[in-house]
Amino acid sequence: MDFVILSMVMLAIGIYGLLTQRHLLKVFVSIELVATAATLNFVMLASSASIGVGESFLILAFSTDTCVSAVILALLVIASRKYGTTDISKIVSPEPEDEEEENTEADA
Amino acid sequence: MILELVSAGLVISACLAIFLDEAVYSVAALAGTFLLTALLYALSGAPYVAIFQFAVGIGTVAILFLSGETLSETPVTKTQPKQLIGLGVLGAVLSLPAIFLSVSHQNGVTYSVPFGEALWDLRALDVVLQGLVIMTVALGIGIVLYHKKKSSKKRSVEQ
Repeated sequence: MDFVILSMVMLAIGIYGLLTQRHLLKVFVSIELVATAATLNFVMLASSASIGVGESFLILAFSTDTCVSAVILALLVIASRKYGTTDISKIVSPEPEDEEEENTEADA
Repeated sequence: MILELVSAGLVISACLAIFLDEAVYSVAALAGTFLLTALLYALSGAPYVAIFQFAVGIGTVAILFLSGETLSETPVTKTQPKQLIGLGVLGAVLSLPAIFLSVSHQNGVTYSVPFGEALWDLRALDVVLQGLVIMTVALGIGIVLYHKKKSSKKRSVEQ
């Protein structure tokens, strides 16, 4: 049993999800998987060598991870309210019709 | 044997979390991932980290379920049982290298620094500072969401 390979597999799944999924919630889930893979590697290294410092660092990492998750979730909610969609490709490149409408409103 | 089973379950639930169509089911699979990760930590001799992982995971999943109702849209296609089985098999296959291969060579050197000593004697300042950081972030998110709500109410009144 090798936890380095396990964390690498988890990291690969998370990165694949980040690259392929377009739903905002799926992107968030992918980020969580990447964070879980990183912490898994550290925890297993620390626990296999009985290093208490490693575990205490990991608790710091957990709190940072929670803060990051909270900020990302708030941004997701704001983005979905503003653009009215959860599709990330529509948020990155809005429909050209919307831009035209905005331009006509600005001209008027 | 238990560690191997938990590891395989971890990879399978991670695959389900990524590839399932419905966002709410995806969040449920993520909850399974967090639970199995905490179990893995506990079985590997890191009980404090397991408790933290469990608490953080439950909190994250609860918030995700609440916001999932807001963010999720009805998918065009629903997940078929065949697709579920395929994802399970994919996860099991992906977990095989972790069970049978080995790249890390442990030299057996152990450092016996107790967790309590490490946390409070060596990292006491970090522990206090991270509490402050969490409080600040929570306050900031609350302010941002409050202003957003206030401005949307103002717009609706103007219209």
